[in-house]
Amino acid sequence: MYQGREWPYPSEIDQTETLTADVLVVGGGIAGCMAAIAAARRGQKVILVDKGAVKRSGAGGTGIDHWESAATNPCSRVTPEELHKAMMDDNDGYNNPISHYIECREGWDRLLDIEQMGGKIRDTEDEFKGAEFRDEETKLLFAYDYHARYTLRVWGTTFKPAMARELKRLGVRVLERVMVTSLLTKDGKHGSDCIGATGFHTRTGKFYIMRAKATIIATSRPARVWLFSAAYPGLCEFRPLQCIGDGHAMGWRIGAEFCMMEKSVRAQFSASGRSYPPYMAGNNHNTWYPATLIDATGREIPYVDRDGNILPDVRSRCYPAKGQRFFLKGGNVEEAKYEYLGPETLPWDKLKEMGYKLPFYADLTAMPEHERKAIWGLMVGQEGKTMVPVYQYLNNAGFDPTKHVIQCYGAGWTSAEFLPQERQLFGAPGGFMNDWYLMTNIPGLFAAGDALFSSNCYGHAAATGYYAGRHAARFAASRSLHDFDAHQLEQERERVYAPLLNKRGFGWKELNHAICKTMQNYCGELKEEGLLLAGAERLSHYEKDIVPYTSASNPHELMRLLEVHNILTVAQMILEACLVRKQDCPPLEFYRADSGGQAPKPFLVIRHDGEKTVCREVPLDFAGDVKENYERRNQDYIEEKEVG
Amino acid sequence: MVLRETKPAEPLAFDTDKCIGCNRCLEACQIDIMIPSEEKGSPPLVAFPDECWYCGACVMECPTGAISLQHPLMNQVRWAEKSSLTARSEA
Ligand SMILES: Cc1cc2nc3c(=O)[nH]c(=O)nc-3n(C[C@H](O)[C@H](O)[C@H](O)COP(=O)(O)OP(=O)(O)OC[C@H]3O[C@@H](n4cnc5c(N)ncnc54)[C@H](O)[C@@H]3O)c2cc1C
Ligand code: SF4
Ligand code: SF4
Repeated sequence: MYQGREWPYPSEIDQTETLTADVLVVGGGIAGCMAAIAAARRGQKVILVDKGAVKRSGAGGTGIDHWESAATNPCSRVTPEELHKAMMDDNDGYNNPISHYIECREGWDRLLDIEQMGGKIRDTEDEFKGAEFRDEETKLLFAYDYHARYTLRVWGTTFKPAMARELKRLGVRVLERVMVTSLLTKDGKHGSDCIGATGFHTRTGKFYIMRAKATIIATSRPARVWLFSAAYPGLCEFRPLQCIGDGHAMGWRIGAEFCMMEKSVRAQFSASGRSYPPYMAGNNHNTWYPATLIDATGREIPYVDRDGNILPDVRSRCYPAKGQRFFLKGGNVEEAKYEYLGPETLPWDKLKEMGYKLPFYADLTAMPEHERKAIWGLMVGQEGKTMVPVYQYLNNAGFDPTKHVIQCYGAGWTSAEFLPQERQLFGAPGGFMNDWYLMTNIPGLFAAGDALFSSNCYGHAAATGYYAGRHAARFAASRSLHDFDAHQLEQERERVYAPLLNKRGFGWKELNHAICKTMQNYCGELKEEGLLLAGAERLSHYEKDIVPYTSASNPHELMRLLEVHNILTVAQMILEACLVRKQDCPPLEFYRADSGGQAPKPFLVIRHDGEKTVCREVPLDFAGDVKENYERRNQDYIEEKEVG
Repeated sequence: MVLRETKPAEPLAFDTDKCIGCNRCLEACQIDIMIPSEEKGSPPLVAFPDECWYCGACVMECPTGAISLQHPLMNQVRWAEKSSLTARSEA
């Protein structure tokens, strides 16, 4: 419709602004905001750069409904160590031992922080007074396991605006609508210290050089590697469209290490394809736990405990089984091991045998009022992407949770069944390898939130963000600024603007779709050496022969195109990671047709050394005794907390 | 007869009577799918509708309630009156 219309913003393509900071934060989502806040509170000069606008950007911009792993909240009946052990065990050790300990240990502190900034974490209006899941003294509300009480129900729509205000109050320089495109290294050398970054304004095209003593990557995780739709690119994946793994690609290009990049799962959410908008279709997981499900004739579907005992009422869906300390449930824990397995409805096969009729529905009509209101109004409402697209939308259409039931599609909360080759980095996928300071192998480069390997969830992002901010501040205090390398900078400037000079050429959608088709064909559920190599060759063809002929006609389109260049790099990393792991590794959902049947190797950490991929083996327990190692490095924080 | 672009969906509908042209919706969108209107006081133009994530942040920020978010037809879920199901099973 607007074909040929003049670009509405002034062109600043020939302008460059150079900025300096002690700590540079790339990404203004949950982890990025909390990192910037931590560093600024420690007196550092901080710049935070976001591709979007901080008030509502990132996966959690429009809210969250449950905050997991707040093991130190006053009502919790599990310790951080117990919860951490369960999280590691449940993934056979293929999980990030450091970041999840930080989550369990500091998550509650961050929630208190957010409350102080103006976020709502308690039922101050007594809406749920007397509810089973409420602590009357603190007015905290709990989700899932009402006995263990380590996951909280919260008013997440208030969080991101509160963080944006705090950034302002602390004087953090916030650059919005700026896409960071590369990381700068000392003397322009591959693998040497990170000394800042470059970026460009996605409306005006202005170029930015950001010099910093420490840089924190908080750009979340990759997406659109297997799934693409040209008609609905915004709906291809679960996360916001602009979060496609820029940080991973930039880190890879300077030699940062990555862990678990061979892990992918059969897709769970893609509303451009098979699934419905998240939390909109009927289900009984996550936001909708512990909803009642019924079949097509209105017959209730039983919930059972881990031993198959049918549970008598709604209340008992929220308590551990006899002899069980606590159960795991929430974001990405849908099917835990027996030890941590929570209540669940009977499986589909069993229901079919018993004569239950499709389709099923989520039925809140007969649930106790507090439970119904907790699901419809609190969880659906405060959860990301639900206030407007689900809650208001269905209410306006006449949906009444005391009368109506919503259809379930597929089994579980995903509302669809995908094909084996339709894959996604969902749950806790690969990412930056980190040490105990959340620093990468590149000195001065830190990572936080979902950019870290095997990470997920809001509380994890807030906790690791703040932690990385603290340690980056300390690192910065002992360093000085470095001059950037003119050659490295000019090369990057040329790379960034090249597509604007190509008046014709491949557009971002065409390239993205080609990458996805290649990945579906050569790197599907079952991997095989020859196929992986052929896939790598295909991607290298795109890199050498297609990327130079891609084109964009304005800064917005340029952003979309450079994102796809990054998706290409991420796809290449994934193939490299799949090539080095020669054996099946079920905890990583990694299977090879040519697997030799040997035991899976531990972590295979990869990096690019400038010419080729190199790999090192890292034991799963590389973090050692987590409590001891954490406390040794965080005495100042522990003391600060004690002083209050 | 005319040529026109066939859109897969139109995520946002603006009530021009309510809109004051403040562009807060445009500034809230992390994907930046809108551009300002050339006419002062008018709603922004949805320049990149296919990139919409359907998150509703623009609607949350609008001070006058001028925007409605419209899911693509294929994403409109089905719901029913519970009594219609029980009636079916009894019939
Ligand atoms: C719909 C939805 C509901 C969810 N609900 C829950 C929940 O109830 N509980 C829970 O624990 N978790 C929930 N999650 C997950 C949780 O929101 C994420 O784990 C968390 O937001 C991750 O934080 P992050 O800071 O790593 O990434 P994000 O918060 O996604 O932030 C990434 C930021 O990086 C910016 N960025 C990316 N690339 C660049 C670049 N090149 N230059 C500059 N900036 C860049 C983006 O603009 C974005 O602001 C939900 C996620 C979604 C999508
Ligand atoms: S719904 Fe979200 S993605 Fe779509 S225009 Fe509004 S703010 Fe942007
Ligand atoms: S926020 Fe509302 S009033 Fe302001 S421009 Fe957008 S639609 Fe119009």
